Amino acid sequence: MRRPGRALILAAIALLAGACTSNGAASHDPGKVVLPAKQTTVAGNLYATKGRSLYRFSGTHLTPLLTGVKVKDPAVSADGTRLAFAQLQEQSSTIVLSDVDGKARQTITPSSGPEGALWAFSPSFSADAQKLLYLTDRGKQPSSPRDLQPNDLAVWLYDAASARSHRIAVPVAYTGGDSDPVFRPAASDQVVYTTYLYGGVPLQPVARLTWMSSQTGASVSLSPERARDFQPAFSPNGRFLAFIRADSGRDDLYVMALGASFGREPRPYPTEAAILLQSGMVSQPVWAPDGSAIAFLMLTRGSFDLFVLPVATSGTLRASGPAQAVTHGSFLDADSRLAWSP
Amino acid sequence: MNQTGSTAVSRGSGPSRAQWIVISAVLLCLALITGALLYAMPVLTLLGNHDAARGRGVPAPAHAPPPLNSKERINILLLGSDNDQKFPQDALLSQTMIVLSVDPAHHQVTLLSLPRDLWVEIPGYGNAKIDLAYARGGAPLARAAVEKAFKIPIHYYAWIGLKGLVRVVDRLGGIDVDVLHPVLDDNYPNDFNDSGYGTERVYLAAGPQHLDGRHALQYVRSRHGDLLSDFGRSIRQQQVLLALQQRAEGIDLVTALPNFARDLNGHVKTDLDLVRVTQLALFIRGLRPGDVRQAFITPYVRDATSPDGQQILLADWPAVNRYVRQLFGDDLLP
Repeated sequence: MRRPGRALILAAIALLAGACTSNGAASHDPGKVVLPAKQTTVAGNLYATKGRSLYRFSGTHLTPLLTGVKVKDPAVSADGTRLAFAQLQEQSSTIVLSDVDGKARQTITPSSGPEGALWAFSPSFSADAQKLLYLTDRGKQPSSPRDLQPNDLAVWLYDAASARSHRIAVPVAYTGGDSDPVFRPAASDQVVYTTYLYGGVPLQPVARLTWMSSQTGASVSLSPERARDFQPAFSPNGRFLAFIRADSGRDDLYVMALGASFGREPRPYPTEAAILLQSGMVSQPVWAPDGSAIAFLMLTRGSFDLFVLPVATSGTLRASGPAQAVTHGSFLDADSRLAWSP
Repeated sequence: MNQTGSTAVSRGSGPSRAQWIVISAVLLCLALITGALLYAMPVLTLLGNHDAARGRGVPAPAHAPPPLNSKERINILLLGSDNDQKFPQDALLSQTMIVLSVDPAHHQVTLLSLPRDLWVEIPGYGNAKIDLAYARGGAPLARAAVEKAFKIPIHYYAWIGLKGLVRVVDRLGGIDVDVLHPVLDDNYPNDFNDSGYGTERVYLAAGPQHLDGRHALQYVRSRHGDLLSDFGRSIRQQQVLLALQQRAEGIDLVTALPNFARDLNGHVKTDLDLVRVTQLALFIRGLRPGDVRQAFITPYVRDATSPDGQQILLADWPAVNRYVRQLFGDDLLP
């Protein structure tokens, strides 16, 4: 029926031909952060995680922090003195505050409640570091395989003065919830986050940037109805917003100027006028403390690595030079935020 | 004389130069054959793992596969199942059914997802959800059900279990995916615990990221936090297939194939042979993103309840047929 001898010969020839057309081996995780031969100097302190371990890049130095703690989504206060991060346990996570060396830790969210084990992620400081936005599934309905209830992350606000938290936005049910909350610098009553929902016929996944006033609860969408815009990041002066737009199989970095406030839904949507800064599979943008650059993670030869892109915001909004690699083949955690302080 | 005799004895005691050449050639051939067998044995073992032969009443495949040197379309039915401890291994529902259609003439691949709850006629079993076909008659019946319902000739099938997917992804060093929504699932089946009945909590952040095998499986399997339910899963399954294709682009097939085969032994069944696998692998690794077309019949199905009370999907068959004809042109069964 089959002729294995002939098949083997044909397969061997085809395989060898294929090997000759190989376009370079996909890299594998080296298990450590690797700096390129030509190092990029990082101004200030830039935080990222790899394998859920926290690292600080400063100048050309790399410092591991919080040994033995599983960390996701580091955040740093504007003055650079306080850290916040999600500490991961086996089936839950909590938000933890600490000094910049990871000491004097204080857990501010519960790992479980009457509703069961809880997640908490994506902390973000207000300008005065007195408030913190974060995501949690606290308040969910108990669920079982036979009685499935919505289980979505919502944006919550923690007030250091009262040491209490409350929910500020209600996510669309059965979407996984909202993501990426950030305060607007110099206007701490303004919040921007990603709203996940479904739109179109047939329904498709949609991600829209949402602006809201944490004082009044009023909110507007900054993205069109079918968009996939996410991971907003404010410039230090609060005038510009960087974000990721997924389109045509890519996740590109865009930037736009943002109006001072919104009384009603803006038309055209502000993200429609955004400017492309970097193409590729990009994630987790964060601005330099002086607004002169944006750091992000980008997929390069199979690895998410850290890059810094110089940006000009006076006159025409644009990249003022090519992106510089801070790491090389390091497989940094692309699902974990970056943070950058003076 | 003595010297001559001595020389003659000396020549007679060992092989001649010609004999040495022959012996060396034979040894070299033996070494090459042994090496080739050692190299190819895991692959041949894997490819020898078929589903049982067609049961009684199951129609034969409508078309034989096209010849190797032809430019005709090749359709492969990709099947995926839960195969953990809570399921009898000979009665697995197919959680995933995707027709992978390779069109060499136009250098294009189409991925057509078939919803598992689709109500179709299964040869020999009457009307039922399409995922029952694999449970009742393995790949031959699943192939027959797809051919009957969609008129798509299925030339080959490939089935993969849960651990198989995890191992493929891990062997490739993970995959890079833009997770479309946050994935939260407090009731995700803990596939690899002893009983198979446990659940665990799963969270995947939205956005671009690198997934290992375990997390890739969670991404394609979870549907408890997804309003799109099975359709959402179909989108994610196709996303992971494309990510696998992109990741495999940089892999050295010569060294990787035997290791893949060893990892997957027992977790994959297929009637593809080695030459066709190699041919397809080389074709697929040469694809660019624009060469892959993702297709879903979601706009042409609606929720319904079957006569025996199951939640099912009913198709608008004229619309489905028009759509399939758009995708496959005239390469359909009469």
